[in-house]
Parts: sequence; structure tokens; C-alpha cells
Amino acid sequence: MKFISIAKKDVKELIRDRRGLIMILIFPLFFMLVFGFAFGGIGQSNQPHNLAVVNYDKGSTMPLTNKQVNFGTNLTNILGDSKYENTDVHIFNVTQTTETDADAKLKKREVDAELIIPENFSQSVVALLNNTIQQQTAPGTATVTTPPNATSTLIIRGDTGYIGFGVSQGILVGVLAQYQDKLVTEIQNQVKGTPGAQPTKYLQSKVEAIPGTETFTSFDFLAPGMMVFAILLLTTTVAAALTREVEKGTLARLKLTKMRSLDLLFGGMLPWSLIAAAQIIILLLVAILIGFHWQGGLNTLLLAILVGVIGGVASISLGMIIAAFARNDRQAANLGTIISVPTTFVVGAFFTLPQVVIANINGQPFQIYELLPWTHVLNALRTTLTFGGGWNDIAYQVGWALLLTLILFIIGVVLFSRNRLRAEN
Amino acid sequence: MSDFIIKAQELTKNFGDLRAVDHLNLNIKRGEVFGFLGPNGAGKTTAISMMVGLLRPTSGKVFIDGKEVQEVEKGNIGICPQELVLWDFLTCKESLNLMGNMYEVPDDELKKRVDQLLEDLFLTEKANTVVGKLSGGMKRRMNLAMALVHEPEIVVLDEPSEGLDPQSRRVLWNYIHRLRDREGKTVILTTHLMEEADRLSDRIAIIDHGKLLLLDTPKNLKKEIGEGDVVDMKLSDPNKNQEAITALQGMEQVYSVVEVEDRINVRALDAVGKLPSIMEKVETVGVRIADLSVRQNTLEDVFIDLTGTGLRE
Repeated sequence: MKFISIAKKDVKELIRDRRGLIMILIFPLFFMLVFGFAFGGIGQSNQPHNLAVVNYDKGSTMPLTNKQVNFGTNLTNILGDSKYENTDVHIFNVTQTTETDADAKLKKREVDAELIIPENFSQSVVALLNNTIQQQTAPGTATVTTPPNATSTLIIRGDTGYIGFGVSQGILVGVLAQYQDKLVTEIQNQVKGTPGAQPTKYLQSKVEAIPGTETFTSFDFLAPGMMVFAILLLTTTVAAALTREVEKGTLARLKLTKMRSLDLLFGGMLPWSLIAAAQIIILLLVAILIGFHWQGGLNTLLLAILVGVIGGVASISLGMIIAAFARNDRQAANLGTIISVPTTFVVGAFFTLPQVVIANINGQPFQIYELLPWTHVLNALRTTLTFGGGWNDIAYQVGWALLLTLILFIIGVVLFSRNRLRAEN
Repeated sequence: MSDFIIKAQELTKNFGDLRAVDHLNLNIKRGEVFGFLGPNGAGKTTAISMMVGLLRPTSGKVFIDGKEVQEVEKGNIGICPQELVLWDFLTCKESLNLMGNMYEVPDDELKKRVDQLLEDLFLTEKANTVVGKLSGGMKRRMNLAMALVHEPEIVVLDEPSEGLDPQSRRVLWNYIHRLRDREGKTVILTTHLMEEADRLSDRIAIIDHGKLLLLDTPKNLKKEIGEGDVVDMKLSDPNKNQEAITALQGMEQVYSVVEVEDRINVRALDAVGKLPSIMEKVETVGVRIADLSVRQNTLEDVFIDLTGTGLRE
């Protein structure tokens, strides 16, 4: 069992080269932390968005009741009071301020967005209400005066390149649309004299979450991607390690022995698979610590390790292919990085990619990205760790990952054996 | 069974436009220490790599015990390369056990061999030390041990003394003698150290530019090519060395006159008796002798005579 001797050798080398081992394990950890802090909210799923409100509204007189009203102030209060559904967390931290101060705060990113309420805002709301009343009542039964400025524009200002602004403005647009609808409904009820009309509840949206994902953040989607990133980085390490063996001459020493190609490559695969499994466990632990909502318990962890090992073998195979051609370990490491980092993007580890369906297999669309085993590894990891899916939920993805990894492994073995394990030309 | 264990026939290797080995024909006897002597870049390592099957020749063939080298069962050859080829993070014992396993040496036999090798090469105390922490000399000895753990019939030592201190070199030389005398191994030794080739080799092949220049015993080489003594002198004006060499080359019974590091070496029969006429000849070119010594001819003189003195790298 020469492959076991090779595996033992590689395990000893991996463990004793502490600096190298730490680098292998720490580097992806660093990325996990960065992404966790950037997108995770460190355990808090829903956080208030900082909003600066500049209220120029001068108010107006309500139709029917002739009461003085200021809808700008009303809107500001509603924004400040609104909470995420089923939580005590406010949607916005509202700061009322001047336009100059709000602009300064935007530049410093002390606020995510700035809402400017124009001076004729109440007038335009009143105009809207008058219009509604006229449509509801018979001509001549009610006298309504239409103010001259019937329209006004609310300005949502912010840094369009800032994700905080993107989220805040999205919520604001929704809130404002609902605000207008509710005002109309309210006045219609008043005109009809509908008894027991519902008190105005301006923010009544219904969000339906996939079970278990109610408190999710972007990080819950990204964490499995980070694991795939770590697994893909094994390509670089394996390619460099194999090329170093060539460069140092130790491979030539082994070539003179009775060792076969498969002994070397299969033996080398075992310790690297252990590293892949260790990476999954360590990265999951760290992800949980910084806010990942792990679902499914030990069963999903075991499934994730299995999937991670398959992904690891795919990366090792890619490493073999690179080592079959690289001239030295530095070139191997560079090539590994050049190939593995874009691959991480292509498999969708960091963001969702546009649909590019190339075939339909058993009624399931097959996308171009799915030609890579890591896409299936990522999908399986997300299914099991993020959504708590079991074996049945990931079997399809695991099947594809296994098949594609096997193909990649065969290519790796053939190329490495042909270029490195035969007598040189 | 043939007396020759290795036969190289018309062995040639080209790397692009460079011909590293040029139609090399060699027969190496079973149980001899065969020295490959040549300057850096002469083609020694390339020739050896082809002879052990690590490098495919451009043309020509190598036979080991009558079989083409690619068909020979692995394990017949042990190679100790010029560079230190070791796994830095394995201990001495682990490294030897790994190599033993790769050669399919049975476990009980392997244990005995590993212990014996470590003892013979004075590494027992370092058996459980990782290779990366050994001294340079110890690493060299480990490099050798790795080539021997499977007890090969042919041992190839590629410049094994490189960088060794005199003590470690002596240990190594004794061990090489022992390989031949007690264990009957065939040892192929490449070196550019004259003393090493002289002391260890039964026969020496001098190669340069990939070609075999001479092949004989050290004694015969010195006798046939280097008969006589060497007058080693330094002139008062080294710029006139070439003029003096031309003048000396015309003298009777002077075999060779070469310039070595600003000095002139004159090889001649009965050099002491010829000293007055040599001095007289030198003075005819308008210089005087600043320093002079007479010594017996060495293998180095033969080597310089055949390969010249210019740097190859």
C-alpha cells in the first residue's frame, strides 16, 4: 500500500510545516471575517438605516374639516416610528436637519440617505385628497378648493455607489408609495362615512420568508461561497506543492522506485481532502460566530464535509493539471491563483450570475456554470448549511459534483503522469 | 553473465541546439567504481541521467545487464544526486522508511537496513531529527543513504563530496570503498575533484563537451598522458606567458606547456635535469622566473591537459 506511505508523508509534511499550514487555514478565514463584517451585521439581521430628513413643507388646510395640517411632519414621524415586522427594530434612524448638514453627513456616510420634503408637499397631498373627494361625491354636494401647486417632488439623495444608500432608497420608495395609497384610502373612507374605518397603518407590507430564513442577511448567502473560495484556493497550494516536489528532485527520486502514478496522486489526495474537511469545519465555526444562521444541525455539517471533500478533490485535480505544466512552484502558485479566483466568481460564490441555460436535463435547466463541479458544491453547501436541506435535497448536486470531479481527476492524473512521471525528454 | 553491467551505445542528447552528450560509448564493469571526470557542464549528469532511465536519449541506447534501461525492473539502481534531494519535514528514519516502502522492502528487513545505514553513515543520533535541521554534511550523508536503502546493484553518486568538510568526505569515501569491497556494488561516480576520482575509481572516463576523451585506470592515465614531472612557475611579467609558452613548446621531451591561473605548467620527462634549459628558454622572451617548483604529475594535470583551463559556466 504505497499510497498510504505517500499519504503519511504528506500529512507529516503538512502538519510540520506550521507556517504553510497556518497560511492555508488562515487565509480563507480572513476573507470570511471580512465578508462577515461587511455583509453580516454581526448577528443582527435587521438594522435601522440612517436617514436624514430635510423638511421644507409649509403645511396646508385639509378639505372637509379645514384643519391646518403638515404632511411633511406626518411623513417624518411615520418614518421614525416604522419598525420591521414582528420586531422592535426601527427601519430608520431619522435625523431632522438642514440640507447642508444632511449633504455633509451623506459624504461622511453618517447617514445612508437624505430625504428632502419640498415646501408644497402638504399642498400637493391636499390636492390629491381633493381630487379623490371630487371623484367620490356627486358634483355640487361638496365644495373643494384646489390649491395652485398640485404636484410636488420628494427627493431621495445619496451616494449611488454605496450599498447602504441602495437598500435605504429601495425601502423609502416603497414606504412613500404606500403612504400615498393609504392617504387616498383614508379620505375615501371618510367621504363614504364608512363606520369603523381602520385607523391609518401606513406601513403594512407582508413579507413571506422561506422557513428559517426570517432573520437572514446577505452573509448567510455568502458564507458557503467563502467555503467554496477556500476549497478552490487549495488548487494553488496543491499545484505549488506538487511542482516543488518536481523542482526539488524528490519526484525524480520517487520515479526511480516502484511507485506508480496513482500511488503518488491518490496518496497525495488523502491529506488534502482532510484539509478541505478541516476548512469546512473551521470556516463554519467562524461564520457562525460572526452571524451565520446555520440550520440543520450535525447532519448538515456531515453532509457539508462530504460535499467539501468532493470540492477539495476537484481542486486537487485542477492543481495536478497546473503542476503538469508549471515550470516552478512560484509559477504554479500564480497560475493557480489566476485560475481559481475567477472560477470562484464564475461558480457564483460572491454574487448570483445571469441565467445561461445550455441544456435541459430531466426537466431541470442546466446552466453553463454547472459544467464546473464547484458550482454544484456551492449549491449543495447552500442547500444544506443555509437552508437546512438533507441528503435528498442535495443528492442531485452531489451527483453532478462527483461526476465532474471524477472527470477532472482523470484529466489531472493523465496529464501529470504524462508530463512529470515518465522519463524526461 | 557478462562482465559489463552497463553498456552505453552511441548515447546522444540534444537540448535544442546544444549537444550535451555526443555519441558516448561506455562499458562499465560489474563491481567496479567507475569515475566520470569532467569540468562543469561537460555532460556528466546528463549522461548519468540517461543511463539510469530518468532522461530519454535523443539517440543511442543504454543496456543494464543486457536489458534496455526502460525495461529494467525498478530497484536495480540507486541514485545520489548532486543536489540535496530530501524531504525537509521528515525525520531521517521516516525518510528512509518511505524510500524502503516505495521499493517494497519487507518491513522487518527495512528496519534492519535503516538502522545499519544510519549507523554506517554516523546518523544514528539524528535518526528522529527532521532533515531540515541537519548540518550540511549530515544532509549529504542522508542524501547517500536514501540511494542505498533498497540495496541496489548499481549505485550512482553524482558529485557526492560537493560542499563536504574533510571529515565528512573521509566518511563518505570509506563508505564508497566498502560498497565495492564488501557489498560488491557497482558504483558510478561523477566528480570534478581529482583526488576523489584518483582515490576511489578503478577506472576513470574523462569527458568534455559530451564526448569521451579518455578511459583508463588512474595509474595508466597518469602514466600514459602525464608521464614525467611538472615544473610550475610564475613569470615576473605574466603578460608574456603566451610568448614563453610558445618558446617552451619547441623544446625536446617537453610533453605539454599550459597556463593555469597566471602560472605556467611544463610537463616534461626528467624535469629537474631540464630546469637550466627551461630557465634559459624563458629568459629569451625577456622575463625572469619569479617563483618555481617541481612536483610529480597528478591526475589534475592530465585533466587540465585534456580539457583546457577556460571556465565553462
